[in-house]
Amino acid sequence: MFDLLDSALDNRKVMKMSKKILAVCLMLTVILSGVTIIRVAAETTPMTAGQIDQIRNNCVSAKNTLSQLHASDALLRVNRGQIFESMSTKLMDRFNSRVANNGYNNTGLISVSRSYGAMLDTFRLDYKTYEEHLSTAINVDCWNQPAAFYDAVATARTLRNVVHADVVKLNQYIDQYKSAIDQFEQDYQTVVNGIKQ
Amino acid sequence: MDEPQTPAIIDEFAGSSKRRFLVFISISILIAFVLVLISMYMYNSSGAAQLDLSRPGYVGVRSQAISDDGDFKNYSSTGSIDQSSITEFKTLYSTQAQKTKSVDAFGGDPLSPTALGLITN
Repeated sequence: MFDLLDSALDNRKVMKMSKKILAVCLMLTVILSGVTIIRVAAETTPMTAGQIDQIRNNCVSAKNTLSQLHASDALLRVNRGQIFESMSTKLMDRFNSRVANNGYNNTGLISVSRSYGAMLDTFRLDYKTYEEHLSTAINVDCWNQPAAFYDAVATARTLRNVVHADVVKLNQYIDQYKSAIDQFEQDYQTVVNGIKQ
Repeated sequence: MDEPQTPAIIDEFAGSSKRRFLVFISISILIAFVLVLISMYMYNSSGAAQLDLSRPGYVGVRSQAISDDGDFKNYSSTGSIDQSSITEFKTLYSTQAQKTKSVDAFGGDPLSPTALGLITN
């Protein structure tokens, strides 16, 4: 009898806990939905009726262009990212190791390759931020929220320029590493000639 | 005296088992839901989502992704350093550097309001 009573009490407790868990889940869902709605509904830029009409008239074509750009930029990110990564892992790091293994000073080479690696991390992060904002812009209802759409596109545009600046810097580091190799070659020749004499 | 109580005990036991089973299923769903949330968070926060061309919307460009960069040679990290090894590396590096810089990635201004037709000149 006591066992039955205990089991009944346990069941009630478990049911109460299940209800509490369900309530927490529902509350979380409501909060998350609310945050999403607030984010999407934010409109800031004041616009004239003409500008709003212009955006609405080109709404579909603009969205198509954004979707195409989204896909082509993703491809660019994959292919370029792979090449940038290979420059570091297949060439720079390996040459640095080889130079170090032979007991030569590779400080200049390591300095540039570290800066390159840090910039590659920045590029990855900046592209991620850009892609997220471009996706947000694509998902904004440009018919009902033209100002929000305009703002989202403007933000994505700024972030795309940041990604481009990262690519330019990466290319500069590639040139700097080349200069560091030339410097290393000169130093190497000086050492070799010194030993011969 | 105990015999009439047997069906009641069985019923209570069966009811308790059913409830326990429902709780078990609920908790399992909850755990699966939490694990999915964690994995989705990791998928998005790590940047893997941006590299995942299997997502919808990338069908057209998927085939153009470079899956084999076999022309990008590995430089050996072992061996001696002499003039020929330096020259070999310089040649390899220059070739790849030229390829890397040949594309003005993310250049241009395709998101300008004029290009998108959001503002007329």
